[in-house]
Parts: sequence; C-alpha cells; structure tokens
Amino acid sequence: MNEKVEYWVKIPIGPIHPALEEPEKFIITLDGERIINVDVKLGYNLRGVEWIGLRRNYIHILYLAERMCGICSFSHNHTYARAVEEMAGIEVPERAEYIRVIVGELERIHSHLLNLGVVAHSIGYDTVLHLSWLAREKVMDILEFIGGNRVNYSINMIGGVRRDITEKHRRAILDMIYYYRQEVMPKIEEIFLYDPTVEARLRDSTVIPKRIAIEYSAQGPTARGSGITKDVRYNEKLGVYPDLGVKPVTPKEFTGVIKGDVFDRMVVRVGELWQSMEIIERALDQMPEGKIKAFPKDNMIIFKLKKAEGEGIGRYEAPRGELIHYVRAEPGRDGPAKWKMREPTFPNLFAVARALVGEQLADVPVAIASIDPCLSCTDRVAVIDANTGKKKVLTEVDLLKESIKKTKEINPNIKAKPERVGGVGL
Amino acid sequence: MNILYATLGLIALYLYVSFASLLWEGLDRKLVARMQRRVGPPLLQPFYDFLKLMSKESIIPRHANKFYELAPVLALAVSIALLAYTPMGFAPLFATKGDVIVFIYLLTLIGFIRVLGAISSGSPYARIGAQREMIILVSREVPMMLALFTILWRLNHLGVEKPFSLATFYQRNVWSGTPLALIGTFILLFVFLAWLASEIEVGFFDIPEAETEVAEGPMAEYSGRHLALFELSNALKMFVSASLVVAIFLPWDISAYVGLSGISALVVDILFHTFKVFVVLFISMSIFRAITGRLRITHAVQVFWLRLLSAAIIGSLILAIDQLGVIA
Amino acid sequence: MTPEEFAERIKAKFEGVEIKITENKLPHPRKRIWVDVDRDRFKDVVKFLKELDPTAQFSIIIADDRGDKLTAKYHWEMFWEQGESLSVVIGTACPKDDPVLPTITDIFPSTLPYEREVQEFLGIKYEGIPDPRRLFLPDDFPEGIYPLRLDETGVKMVKNAGHPYGRKSK
Repeated sequence: MNEKVEYWVKIPIGPIHPALEEPEKFIITLDGERIINVDVKLGYNLRGVEWIGLRRNYIHILYLAERMCGICSFSHNHTYARAVEEMAGIEVPERAEYIRVIVGELERIHSHLLNLGVVAHSIGYDTVLHLSWLAREKVMDILEFIGGNRVNYSINMIGGVRRDITEKHRRAILDMIYYYRQEVMPKIEEIFLYDPTVEARLRDSTVIPKRIAIEYSAQGPTARGSGITKDVRYNEKLGVYPDLGVKPVTPKEFTGVIKGDVFDRMVVRVGELWQSMEIIERALDQMPEGKIKAFPKDNMIIFKLKKAEGEGIGRYEAPRGELIHYVRAEPGRDGPAKWKMREPTFPNLFAVARALVGEQLADVPVAIASIDPCLSCTDRVAVIDANTGKKKVLTEVDLLKESIKKTKEINPNIKAKPERVGGVGL
Repeated sequence: MNILYATLGLIALYLYVSFASLLWEGLDRKLVARMQRRVGPPLLQPFYDFLKLMSKESIIPRHANKFYELAPVLALAVSIALLAYTPMGFAPLFATKGDVIVFIYLLTLIGFIRVLGAISSGSPYARIGAQREMIILVSREVPMMLALFTILWRLNHLGVEKPFSLATFYQRNVWSGTPLALIGTFILLFVFLAWLASEIEVGFFDIPEAETEVAEGPMAEYSGRHLALFELSNALKMFVSASLVVAIFLPWDISAYVGLSGISALVVDILFHTFKVFVVLFISMSIFRAITGRLRITHAVQVFWLRLLSAAIIGSLILAIDQLGVIA
Repeated sequence: MTPEEFAERIKAKFEGVEIKITENKLPHPRKRIWVDVDRDRFKDVVKFLKELDPTAQFSIIIADDRGDKLTAKYHWEMFWEQGESLSVVIGTACPKDDPVLPTITDIFPSTLPYEREVQEFLGIKYEGIPDPRRLFLPDDFPEGIYPLRLDETGVKMVKNAGHPYGRKSK
C-alpha cells in the first residue's frame, strides 16, 4: 500500500482573528503546517455603500465615499471626484491638482508607515510596530493641520479642492520631510532591508511570481513587488503627476533582484516613501498660484451636474494599488444613476490566496498583511433586509433591550431606558 | 530537616516565587514598553490580571474532554513540585543525589501537560499550537541537556558530595579552572540563555503561542480560572528555568560575606537570587523580546539542531579536553 | 498603440461594433475607448484583447440595471509596459428575462470574484462559471433577491427596520 493517509485540518482565519485588522474569512486547509487550499469569504463588513449612493446627490457622495475606509479616505473621494469631472467635462484648476498630489502623497506616506508596522506585528516584531506608528504620528499631525482631521480630511470637491495649502502649511510639510529623511528613513531601511529576522521571515515567503500577478491582476505594491512596472499615476498620466516625474518603483532599484515575495513588497513600500517625499517637495516648488475650485459655490456644481449626461471613469493609484470609480449620470437627477467602485485589495486578496498554497501557516498573517488589506473598502455593497430575510435580524434596539434585560437580572436597581443610537431610516 | 519543616518551607517558597514571578512579569512589560517608547501597564498589572481571571467564569468548549479541566491544575501542581527541586540561592529543599533528572523531568512535564490540555480542548488553533509546542519541546531539550550534563560531569570530577545534583553548583563554581574551561563554559552559557528564551517562549521562539498566527495557540480555548492557573504555572516555570541558569553560572551568595546564618541567611540569599534571576530574565526575555521577531517553526528547529546543538557539542568538547588533560 | 489604431483594429475584426473614444480635460489629456458589443460576440472580443496584449490587466465589472436589460461593462488596462497605457471599456448587455452572459474566467482568471459579485448582486447568471458560490452575501440570504436591482427583486428601503423609537412611517 503506497497510499498516504492525509491528516488535513481546516482552520478558519477570521472573521475575527488577531492577525486581521478587519473582519474577513480565510478558510485554510492544512496538512501539518503546510497549506493545501485557501478559500476567501468576504462580506462581514457590508454597509451597502453603493446602494446608499443611489439615494444621495453628487456632493453627499463625496463624503460617503470618504467614509468607506479610514486609511485611503483621500483616494476614494479623489477618484470619485475625477470620475464625475470626466463625466461632466469639468476642468480642474492647476493649483488644485497640485494640492491633490500633495495630500495624496501625504496619505501614501501615512498608509505605508502603517503597513510597515502591521507587517512587523504579524511576525511578532512589536517594537517595530510601536516605533513606526510613532513616526506616523508626524504625518497625521500634518494632515490634521491641512484638512482639520486626522482621517477623512475632506480635501476634494468636484472641480477642485476645498482647502488651500498656504505658506505655513508648506513650512510644516518641509519640516516633516526633513524629520523623516534624517531620523525615520535610515531606521526603516535598516529594519526592512537589512535586519536578519525580518529577512528570514519575509524572504521567499508567499512568492507571487510575475505570471500569477498578471493573471490575477495584482495591483499596487503587490504587483510592483513582483516586477510589474504598473502605476496608475504613471500609466494614466494622471493629473500633474507626469510633470513631477513619477515612475513605478520596483525592488530592483534597491536590492537588485525581483523575487515577488513579501520582502519585495515591503521594499517597494520603503521605496515609495522616498518617492512620495520627493514628489511632495517638487510639487511644493512647482505649485502655481491661482484658484483652487472650478466653481466658487457648491450649489453651482449640483446645478451643472443635473444637466450632465454620460459616464466617466476615475482611476488613481491609492496606497494599495489601482482604485477605480465609475459614475453614470442621467439628466434631471441630482445624484448619479450608477456609482461603482473597485478597490485594490479585492484582486490582491485573491492573488495572495493563490500564492499561499504550499506555504506554511506561519506565513498567513504576514502574507495577508503584506498586501495591506483594506477590507472595509472591499466589503461595501450589500444591504441587510429585515423584512425579506428569512432569519430574524436583531436590530440595534432589540440588542439594547436584551442587554438591559441582562443588566437588570444582575442588578435590579439599575434604571435605564434603551436610547436611540445612530441614525434612523430615511 | 524533618518533613514538616520541608513542607512549610515549600509553601513559603511557593508563595514567594508566585509573588516574585508575577512581579517580574509586570516589570518586564514595563521595561519592554519603555524600550518601545510606550508608557506600559502598571507594575502590578499581572496581579490584577490574575485576580480578575480567577473571578471570571470559565467557558468550557463543547468538544472538550475531561482532561481539559484537569490540565491547568496538574500544570500548577507540577510547577509547585518543581519548586522543591529548584536551587534558590541555596540547595533545593529536597536535594538528593541525581535530582537534576527529576528537575528536567518535571520541567518538561509542564510543557507536556499544556500540550495535552490544548489537544483536549478540540480547537484547531490549539491543536496546531500543541503540535508546535511538541516540536519545540523535543528540539530545545537536547542542547540544554548536553550542556547541563557536561557541566555536572565536570564538577563531579572536581569532587562533590552528591554527584549529579543541583546542590553541586553551590559547592563548586563553574568559572574556576583554566582559561580553556572558561571558554567552554562561556559557550554553554550562551546555549543556556537561548534555551531559557525558548522555554519561556519569547522573541524568536514565540512560536507555539503566536498571537497573530494561531491566536495564542494552546491557550486559545482557555478562559477564567483555568487560564489563571496556567498563567501562574507559566510564571513559576519562567522563574524556575531562570533559576537553573542563575544557579549554574551565577552561584555566588552574599550571606557568607555579610556573615549571616540561619533563617536570615536564607532570606538574604533568596532575595539576592531573585535579583540575579531578574537580571538573567532581563537579558534573555525583555531585551530579546524587544529586538527580535518570531521565526517560522522550521527556522526555529534549524536554530536548535544546527546552531545550538553544535555550540553545545563544541562547548562540551572543550570542557572534556580541558578536564581529561588531552592537550596538556 | 494609440486609441485610434486600437479602434481601427477592433472595427476591422468585428463589424457593427459601437466604438467611441472620449477625452477628458486634465492637464494631460487622456483618452478612453468605450466598446459596445452584443453578448454573442462579447467573448470573441475579449479573446481578441488577450491576443493583442497577453498582459492586459482586468480591473472591474460595472453591472447596471437599465430597466428592461442588464448591462455589464468590463474595464481593461492594456499595454501598461510601454508607459502610457490604453484604458478600454467593453460593454455588453442581456435582457432581464434571460439574464445570462458568457463567463470569461477561462481567458482572464482574475474576473472570477467580480463575476461572483455581479451574480449575487444583480442576478446575471454566468454560463460556465467555475465557482458560483456567494462571495459577499451571507449564505442564508434569501434566493431571488438581488440587492442592486432597481425593480421589485431589489431591496426596498425598509422604514426604520423595526426600530420602535424611530420616525413613524407615513
């Protein structure tokens, strides 16, 4: 008998698991420590954004788009604004384009620093997590200074931006770049390019070869780590990016080899930190004077868009990869007839699930972290329907009542009434 | 010493070591937090954790069998028994000829009980954690035992009362001897520090309990009182493992210098011993934890079988050459 | 390959296919090609794309409820290795009483999750899809409800969803 008995174990990673920042489910079939199969189930974070969008007007959606995700909030409303501008043929002032570049690159810095920490945490290197997130505070402060918020800065408006970058912002940004160049980047390079533990864990783990990356349409650093020179800012000639000399960053420029493993993806992120700082500096230098909005009043936008007809696509290189929004207008509506978006995590998730087959269980958290998953972006489309659903869906107040019932069992003296939290239906 | 005094001594030792080891956990968390530029939890956080866990309901999985509830009790019982054979600045309470074998046996038994409890819980995470724990267990003991027995064999040659007992470390100092012996001992010290790190599962060797991979591994399903007992037995095990390293390599006592005797000498010795344990743990746990990440299980096994075992063999050979006088 | 050349190639190969090229007004003008093809020839057009550029990158399926028909638009990025890439949108449609489209997972494997998404949200059945399970919706979600459809099979706004403290429905 040559038949080998296989002892396969099915392990669910998620929906709630310490390795994941957001709920999703990977069902992993294991033979010992080796992975046989990975199945992905999404939808634990569905909020029905697309559906809500059909009931909002163009300006409302700017703020709704921003709230899809806390990390790439600028990317979402930037891309949405571009889609609407393309649909209606609105021309954006050049200064506004430069401001979009600067805020976009600041967001990229903060997103990449976050991901460096998350990857370090998933290999148990918590010191790097704490120190890189400490460094990230600086750029968060700058974003707060410019936009008024640490996340959801609401910079974009259809046909321009809402806030200008003045001389004091410019000085603060240059200070920040100096701080990063002098103090943060050398340490980050030391850790992610030369540290032996990091190299032992990240090198040759979860290799996504170039062929797989193309087949599965991997995006962003995940694709560039596999040697695909694809960057929407460069390929799409987006905005004023061609004037700033943007090029896709591949690990070849840093380590000389392209393997497509987790290490290479992190090298790309480190390279893009350098690149983003250069772009910001150049943008600050070249930024022309002028107005920052195509329409001085927001109600003019609605007025113009109500008459618009057609469809438009906006594409942007979010920190995680290509983000794409589609908007179709019908005349007479003050909101889009169709609004659809796709986030880079969606294809990357399936690429990495494919690449995990044959690897060890220990690679799963770091592999998932290495694509920098943004699942709240990815899960956004469905709606829970309490009336048509066969199962009874407990609403918030039912839960509240249950909770109060339980509290009263424990302590009958408590007098509380269920309070309304959050919004009501329209 | 009659059996009553020994039992009272063991209870006192148990209370003291529980306190000291939980205190060290608080210190360790604070120190690592400072290294990571964080504020960190209060110093007494492990005590709060322990008391809170003790007062919490313990949830038992539906698929768990009887051993699931038994394992934490057994683990704690074994760690208390282990205290009787641990050098604490003075010879172990039940010191006898060849007690080092009992010591190693009990130390390994704690890990083994953890594995049994984890497998009994029926959780796939715990099962994977248990597999990893087993693999690490069989890998780490080999270099450590080789190093330990070499040192005991060498001390034995120098002449001791009870051969192969842990009390020998307080009669003969390992650092005495020719420079060659010093080099060998130093290599073995390195082996022991690495073993200690893997025994308490930090840094490179945080593999069985890897939080982000298998959600605390063997402990995944434990909660409430059962978890509290495991936490306490883990803390005791950490203190005991570090005590072994301290007894071998840093056996000096201060009571003789100060000129104390009787109970007060014991108290001074155990306090000084605790201090030395903290120093060793600081190197092997806090710093190690702050500056490294977790290895893959294959890497860790390679580290043990290729690096540490060869280091232990080289160290042992050097000591043997020195002892048997091959060169001289 | 410029957008115009690309349009010529498509026109030469497939007669009667609607092609339009739009341009937006960014500082660096940017062209997009919109192709509309019936569902019988849709798969051939996709195959032709793959022949033109084997590394074409698929991005998105935009499926839409347009009254009596369901449309699906597919976006590709082509020739990205040569700097400025080509942004191609290929649209097709199917009537609502026969919502079937051919799967293209055999040509572009990365379309599988998107087809699963469209299948559950708009009820377009993909012929020959290798993995027809649900992706986003829970497994106990009722059959025959397609949340993004605008007709009666879609999801209606539920007044307060049983919220006793909310506004009373009028």
